[in-house]
Amino acid sequence: MQTPVHIDPTRALGDITTFQRKLAAGMASLRNMREPEYANTPRELVYSEDKLKVWHFTGHGKATSKTPLLIVYALVNTVWMTDLQADRSMVRNLLEQGEDVYLIDWGYPDGADRWLTLDDYINGYLDRCVDAVRRRHDLDAINLLGICQGGAFSLCYTALHADKVKNLITMVTPVDFHTPDNMLSHWCRGMDVDLFVDTMGNIPAGLMNYVYLTLKPLRLNQQKYIGMVDILDNPAELENFLRMERWIFDSPDQAGEAFRQFIKDFYQDNKLVKGTLEIGGRSVDLGMITQPVLNIFAEQDHLVPPDASRALGKHVGTTDYTQLAFKGGHIGIYVSGRAQREVPPAIHQWLRQRG
Amino acid sequence: MADPANDFIRDYQALAQQSWDAWTRQFQQPPAANPFAPAPAPAAGNDTLERTLAGLKGYFDWMQAAAGGGATQPAPDWRQQLQQMFGGASQPFTQAFGGIDSAGAEGFARQWQSWLQAARHSGFADLAGAPGATPAFGLNREQQMQQQTLSTALVASMQAITRYQELIQRANMQGMQRLQHKLAEPGRQIDSLKALYDLWVDASEEAYAEIALSDEFRDVYGEMVNTQMRARQLQQQQTEQICQQLGVPTRSEVSSLGERLQALRREFRASQAGGPADHADEIMALRRELAALKRQLAGTQAAALEPKGAVAKKTPKVTRKPVATSKSSASPRKRK
Repeated sequence: MQTPVHIDPTRALGDITTFQRKLAAGMASLRNMREPEYANTPRELVYSEDKLKVWHFTGHGKATSKTPLLIVYALVNTVWMTDLQADRSMVRNLLEQGEDVYLIDWGYPDGADRWLTLDDYINGYLDRCVDAVRRRHDLDAINLLGICQGGAFSLCYTALHADKVKNLITMVTPVDFHTPDNMLSHWCRGMDVDLFVDTMGNIPAGLMNYVYLTLKPLRLNQQKYIGMVDILDNPAELENFLRMERWIFDSPDQAGEAFRQFIKDFYQDNKLVKGTLEIGGRSVDLGMITQPVLNIFAEQDHLVPPDASRALGKHVGTTDYTQLAFKGGHIGIYVSGRAQREVPPAIHQWLRQRG
Repeated sequence: MADPANDFIRDYQALAQQSWDAWTRQFQQPPAANPFAPAPAPAAGNDTLERTLAGLKGYFDWMQAAAGGGATQPAPDWRQQLQQMFGGASQPFTQAFGGIDSAGAEGFARQWQSWLQAARHSGFADLAGAPGATPAFGLNREQQMQQQTLSTALVASMQAITRYQELIQRANMQGMQRLQHKLAEPGRQIDSLKALYDLWVDASEEAYAEIALSDEFRDVYGEMVNTQMRARQLQQQQTEQICQQLGVPTRSEVSSLGERLQALRREFRASQAGGPADHADEIMALRRELAALKRQLAGTQAAALEPKGAVAKKTPKVTRKPVATSKSSASPRKRK
């Protein structure tokens, strides 16, 4: 059989030379590069408590939407993925559509937050954030947009505080944690989480990042950086790359107790879909969610497999359920060019149809 | 006899190595010396940077080796040629996979060494070479038993890491097999080093994902985490004992305080939630109930004062109309 590998020696040498040249150019580029800024869409602080802050984004024009939209992000990573850079900002695009956007920034937990539970986060912090926005607008109920773990929190919250949520949007939200392709969940199930949290206390962000990298070790540890060499001589692209690196690795530690509960109840025991979940002693029944629900997931999501999100349709109580599959990954759903064109307009349109 | 082509490649490789070394040094430059500053602790990010650079360097070395031999030379057996390129001493991917399986182990070993040094300085005896439940006795019996327990836990942890590394190695080998299958697909042609590398990544990630989703991997992964946590916990216990001897507050004590504080905060919130706002609602509800009761009482009293005949006169005549059955009234309401 003939060899399928036909690499011209001259071309190979050229590739090596190019690689080397770009590395050399990269030295100069990186030396002159500053820490890339996020989009920093203008915002005002409207509520704070402990390390938590609620930001209200101020657009150029007045919001046309009558009901404010509160974004509930995950505890892992920082909220600035939603406002990464000027031309890749979900927040900015929602503002341009006319939405009145608020965002919960959970902050960076430290030893003082070691004993925060899911009850503290969901029935405590989140509830008080919702109340703060409701008070500002003198409304009984507002719209919630939950992202990833924040989506799971939003589902719990809506089931427990139905009268305070008008419409619910979930993005890349895990609901069924036991789909066969869920690698994180698979790994968690052999862990003694009690021993883990009792030993570690808060879970260090570096450890979390390390686990995420090992989901696709070659792509994320090596291939990505080989790709970076190609853009070392392009300052604009390099800045985008470094901004993303900043976001990936600048992440908060996880409050120990909340982590323990989340891993046990969600990842290990899959209680959200089994209907056996309790938060603060109250049963969380997804069937109690009767308000309109828009569920957006990414078809190439390696962190939250699409089936893990799709499961929501089977368990939620509403008769007004809409599902939107996005062609992209867990991160691309916020920052890709396609996401800018498709996701915020879809959210706005869906909300507008529901008043 | 001189071989101009090979000489050129050798010279080029030497030059490339020099520039690579310069690039690496650029990112490993120590900060300017400060005679008053304490010795710098190893930065947390350095491990990641070193792994990143090692990954790039691995790829770079592999490209050079492949260009100097394997990939650009026609070979009678291309499968063997691939094995040499990806499995030989110069293969770049030890770093990539090595980064996965050794990072945790290295970190743990380093931490263990630091702890051991601290323990020695604090008067703890050296660990016995071989772990096992050798009965201890005498004044230091408890310490000896603790050391044995820790020693056993550390060995268990290292064994678990070894099993994990074996699975990673298996993923590496199966990735190689998958690469061969991909290359054997009809019409497949590779004409650049980068394309070959990318295909290898695809193949290896597929192999890794399959293993990572297996029950065996789940068990080994869990065991690796659990045994390491067990060893760390024993270290912490011994460290706490040292702290107690020195009168230093321990992690458990601080953690206990945190737990109590959080419980108090919860109680305080709960009492606030049941405070003025909720009481106002309750008072309003009670007032409404009282007003209704007053109305009811007033009505009953009025009825009792009026003559019986008058009551009989005021009593309306109840007539029943036949209930018309229509489609609209018979059909159940649709749920909106």
